[in-house]
Amino acid sequence: MNNIVSKILIVANLVFSLCFMCFAGAVFTFQAGWRDKANKTQSQLTSANDQVQQLQGDKELLTTKHAKELGDETTRANKAEAKVNNLDQNLKQAIGNLANAEKERDKHLADLQVAQQEAQARITETNDGRAEIKRLRDQNNEAIAVRRGLEDKNLEMVGELADAATREMKLLKEIKRLNELLRLNKIDPRDPVIGPVPKDVEPVDGFVVESRKNASRSTELVQISVGSDDGVYKNMKMTVYRDSKFLATIQITEVYPDIAVGLVVEETRNGTIERRDNVTTKF
Amino acid sequence: MSQQSSDPTIYDGLMFVSLGAVIVGIVFLIMSLDGYGWSAG
Repeated sequence: MNNIVSKILIVANLVFSLCFMCFAGAVFTFQAGWRDKANKTQSQLTSANDQVQQLQGDKELLTTKHAKELGDETTRANKAEAKVNNLDQNLKQAIGNLANAEKERDKHLADLQVAQQEAQARITETNDGRAEIKRLRDQNNEAIAVRRGLEDKNLEMVGELADAATREMKLLKEIKRLNELLRLNKIDPRDPVIGPVPKDVEPVDGFVVESRKNASRSTELVQISVGSDDGVYKNMKMTVYRDSKFLATIQITEVYPDIAVGLVVEETRNGTIERRDNVTTKF
Repeated sequence: MSQQSSDPTIYDGLMFVSLGAVIVGIVFLIMSLDGYGWSAG
């Protein structure tokens, strides 16, 4: 029994010894590569640590810088927020002002419409007033024309009145003179007039405008340049003469204010009646 | 009194080979440690 166990142990000892030898040989064989790799890894680790430290420093710098920038940006953000709040308040105030301005504008528009309507009414009223003024001006012009006519007539009447007054004075003087003449001839002026009184012939001088024979060529008609305004009346007898030569006697048959027509009732042989011959009541 | 044989057996040879393998392994380890300058860490 001991023999078998010892044999087994010897074999196991052999196996383990061979394994130990193989393990040690493998370690001796590959340890150089492992060492290089370890050195390389160590150097990489060192450089990585350096880089990590550098990056850590950079990170701290960046962190500090970013913290500072963050503080600045935070300050700016706070300022901007305050500004935005102010702007919001200003905007709200401006919106309120705008609403007030719109209300004011609407009110002014309503006032403007009312004013426009009133202005239109005033324009219509003014046009009516102008038409009324034009009508009154026309009436005034007509009244002025009438007044001027009346003034002219008044002046004419005043002149006639003055002439009448002068004539009245002359007639009163003539009546006085005639009364004195009657008294001088021992005639009472208050005695009544008995019998026909011949018509007083006033001296009228004119000239022949035209003369012609009538249809039978027996009687000559003469148109003279004086008429009723000059004291000529119908059936009045007048004398036609030329340079102190008696030509004919005519009897007035037609009388007009400024002309008259006479019929030749007596004709001499001193000549025929022609245009521009003189005519008178007393030759 | 038992008779003991003095002839080496196969197991003696195996023991010898085992010893040789151990010695060779120790030599390999010593050489390896020498490469690291006897520094384990």
